[in-house]
Amino acid sequence: MKRRDLFAASLAAGIMGSTRRGWAATPDAAAALGRTALHGTIPRIVPIRAHADQIMDIKVCLRPFRPAGPRMDVEHVAGKTVVHNYGHGGSGWSLSWGAAYMAVGHAAATLERKVAVIGCGIIGLTSALTAQRAGLDVTIYTRDLLPHTRSVRANGSWTPDSRIALTQQAGPEFARTWEKMARYSWQTYRDYLGMPGNPIDFRDNYTLSDTAPDAADHVPAPADAAKGSFATTGMPQNSAEFAEYASLISDIIPAPELLAGADNPFPVAYARRTPLMIYNFGSYGHLLLEEFHQAGGRIVIREFHSPSDLADLPERVVINCPGYAARDWWNDKSLIPVRGQTSWLPPQPDASYALEYKGAAMISKSDGVMIQGYDMSGLGEMDGVGNSFEHPDRAEAEKAIAIIGDLFTRFQPRAG
Amino acid sequence: MTRSFTLRTALLASVLSVFLLHTAHAASQSGNGHAVSFSAEQVAHGAQIYAGACAMCHGADLEGGHDVPDLSTYFTARWANTPIDQLAGYISRAMPLMAPGTLPPQDTAALVAFLLHQNGVVSATDAPLPMEEARLAKLRFPAPSASSAAATKP
Ligand SMILES: Cc1cc2nc3c(=O)[nH]c(=O)nc-3n(C[C@H](O)[C@H](O)[C@H](O)COP(=O)(O)OP(=O)(O)OC[C@H]3O[C@@H](n4cnc5c(N)ncnc54)[C@H](O)[C@@H]3O)c2cc1C
Ligand code: HEC
Repeated sequence: MKRRDLFAASLAAGIMGSTRRGWAATPDAAAALGRTALHGTIPRIVPIRAHADQIMDIKVCLRPFRPAGPRMDVEHVAGKTVVHNYGHGGSGWSLSWGAAYMAVGHAAATLERKVAVIGCGIIGLTSALTAQRAGLDVTIYTRDLLPHTRSVRANGSWTPDSRIALTQQAGPEFARTWEKMARYSWQTYRDYLGMPGNPIDFRDNYTLSDTAPDAADHVPAPADAAKGSFATTGMPQNSAEFAEYASLISDIIPAPELLAGADNPFPVAYARRTPLMIYNFGSYGHLLLEEFHQAGGRIVIREFHSPSDLADLPERVVINCPGYAARDWWNDKSLIPVRGQTSWLPPQPDASYALEYKGAAMISKSDGVMIQGYDMSGLGEMDGVGNSFEHPDRAEAEKAIAIIGDLFTRFQPRAG
Repeated sequence: MTRSFTLRTALLASVLSVFLLHTAHAASQSGNGHAVSFSAEQVAHGAQIYAGACAMCHGADLEGGHDVPDLSTYFTARWANTPIDQLAGYISRAMPLMAPGTLPPQDTAALVAFLLHQNGVVSATDAPLPMEEARLAKLRFPAPSASSAAATKP
């Protein structure tokens, strides 16, 4: 999701046809939604204990971003049919089931019964399960199992069009592919809702701001023509180049609600609430692995050093899911690293919600309170682009935690 | 930086002693294919680059971490019997992760020599490890032997 202009975008999406308006001018919007909270139903918010001395882990990751969108074509290499499934940018978790469905379709069309899956990140694991569900015999070959992959260094929520492609380089055809993937994934995830351990869950996500939704700081920075664009420089240069597809599926994704005046429990002037799908990595990861083994799947720990290494696999069909590592392993220089970092504080099951404020996001999950500074410098989608310094930055973590911490020092818990 | 200095000095000392003591049964360590050779200077130079450009992620003792591969015991298992040009190629294309493609060939060769040495591989002769891909392609990363694994602890 385009975080920076979330207010503006969700206003446009939530209120059909209305132009962007200031908060004061939205009683008609609230009326259109018909859902101002009934007296006494405003949720009680338990404060998040966001303090740097509570950090239990800092995770850093490189989003595997390709300007043209994920690589999903079929190639013949080393005597194998190789179906690629990598380069899902900041949307790998969200799109995983839909991407797997497409990749496995190519594999199934070969009529081979045995397939190899390379990689055990979220893309490899869902590809392997989807192949099993299509009746195939699956072996995963991977250097690492899920807990050590870049996948578990994500934020872990439904963000299906986060740095997934550049509009121009991906073209209109990819928008249709994206829509199919997003819909298929969303529906598959519903199958995991309400299970023991809540592998997949929802949180109320509060988008907070001190300034009005149409204030200058919510408007994406105008493109600086002097910087050029991906077409002229080979690197994305401004936020506006990144594709936005969310409106294609607004019919099935819960819309944001304005929280007017007394409905807003936070010490900020403006708040919106959106139900957000989240992934609890621990319980979900173990569940997927269990399903894979129960269906007779095999895992071989192995690292490939060159595409010619594929020659000695017994399987003739390979689904290739190496994530960012494809930059070297498959010599795909179109992969651009987009660095991101999350910090993890002890779980707070009493405070199960999420929020975004001043470029920092917090999600209270079963395996910890996740805090991520996703845009603390006003760079929008350009934050982290081209940065492959995959090493924890404690100062950045503390800055993000301080934003959330500061919010709660001003917080007045509701009486009763 | 005192730490890397001590590391360097200690390494240089251990490199030299290894050369003095072990040249005799070097050939047995080199696995299939041609025997692997690298020079003490390469190992020392590699140690210096490693301390400055690699240790922050892969660890001062090559131990790696939860989210970074080690370059030690597990590493030797992952690369055993792999042509060495692939390892040199990987390092020169992909590392250091934040600035891939910036290492000059002699630094890459020195890093490979350093990694081999730290993992208990004993050089067959004092000839330096070549930089040319075609020559490296004839050498294979030696499979670890139980005794060399035990002997690597600095
Ligand atoms: C900070 C951050 C936040 C994010 N937040 C979200 C979010 O909220 N929602 C969302 O949908 N997405 C999010 N993403 C994006 C998402 O994490 C990625 O798109 C996704 O993890 C990619 O998964 P993957 O399986 O392709 O790659 P990886 O997780 O990197 O897995 C690759 C697998 O391949 C194996 N492998 C690689 N090379 C080799 C080789 N040579 N030989 C053998 N095995 C190999 C690895 O061991 C690993 O098992 C976020 C990313 C970051 C960095
Ligand atoms: C910023 C952190 C970082 C730095 C600095 C760094 N590396 Fe790495 N290195 C990694 C990560 C992460 C991987 C795994 C990459 C992947 O899977 O895409 C890796 C992989 C490797 C591998 C392959 C390991 C294997 O078994 O496949 C080698 C060899 C390597 N690095 C050597 C080096 C050398 C030599 C340097 C210094 C010149 C260096 N690295 C600097 C993070 C780093």
